[in-house]
Amino acid sequence: MSAEQTKHQLEDWQESVAAARLEKCPQSVMEMIPYAAFIGAQAKIENDRLLYWLDKRATNIGNPSLPAIHGGVIGGFLELSAAIEIIYSLDIATVPKVVDFSLDYLRAGRYKTIYAKCNILRQGKKLVNVTASAWQDDENTPIATARCHFLI
Amino acid sequence: MAFDMTMALFRPALKYAMEKNGHGKTLGLKMTEINRGEINLVFPYKEEVVGNPLTGVVHGGVIVSLLDTACGSAAMTVLKTPAVAPTMDLRLDYMHPAKPNKPIYVEAKVYRQTSNVIFCRGLAWQEDKENPIAHCVANFMKVDSKSINFSAIAVTQLRRLMPWGRRATSDKESDK
Repeated sequence: MSAEQTKHQLEDWQESVAAARLEKCPQSVMEMIPYAAFIGAQAKIENDRLLYWLDKRATNIGNPSLPAIHGGVIGGFLELSAAIEIIYSLDIATVPKVVDFSLDYLRAGRYKTIYAKCNILRQGKKLVNVTASAWQDDENTPIATARCHFLI
Repeated sequence: MAFDMTMALFRPALKYAMEKNGHGKTLGLKMTEINRGEINLVFPYKEEVVGNPLTGVVHGGVIVSLLDTACGSAAMTVLKTPAVAPTMDLRLDYMHPAKPNKPIYVEAKVYRQTSNVIFCRGLAWQEDKENPIAHCVANFMKVDSKSINFSAIAVTQLRRLMPWGRRATSDKESDK
């Protein structure tokens, strides 16, 4: 790919992100990432905070006998949520790069909708630290929590 | 090494459970090696799982799924009777982004187990194993759960092939 093309793509990306912020529509940022459609992740604003959710889908099942949501899907969903949180709420020019990701599984993810919220704990010049928490019935009984570092 | 009867039976069952069900099937991963405490798998590149539309690099979430599957399966192989070992935690370090249009290879090993916990390590690479794209450590619990009912999984799969079985599953789908 030529440098010219790359520059064009980056400008398109920035324009789309700016438009999404203006319309207060985090879902359109989500739709720019193909992996979001692959697992079926969605986003909206609720009480001035971003809320992410993942509706149940047969293709996200990890253990068919329970059935339970695949642990990797929960991890991927939280990592994606953290990335969207950064793209949408911080003023950065490009897609953040994940450096590390640490996930604690607290409960099994049952075959129903998973919700998630993220918190940006620190934003430096290069590095951002984000935590994410996922729950199903009650926000106070999370099924998984994650911490991640992104390079921006 | 003596012939391992449990593994001989468990190997095709695990391969089937991981490759032909749910998310493993959706990803299209293939288990290439299954031994006691060691799993190798390969994931072909897919455009649907891109995380960075500017570069075509796969999303980190895919690497999480691959390593979680590999480590979880490796943990299952060290149990006397195959059972689900729930993940306690998983930590992933991304060394460099995966190159687009190239398969990702994953290896997971159990390096220690105690009476309650199974400790695993996993590695994901593309061309050079010495230059991995990600490394992970994951711990699993040994719980007194029922051993996996592989015949039940086979029956479910078989039912999906039948016209009346398919109707039953699609009813469940619409019941949201």
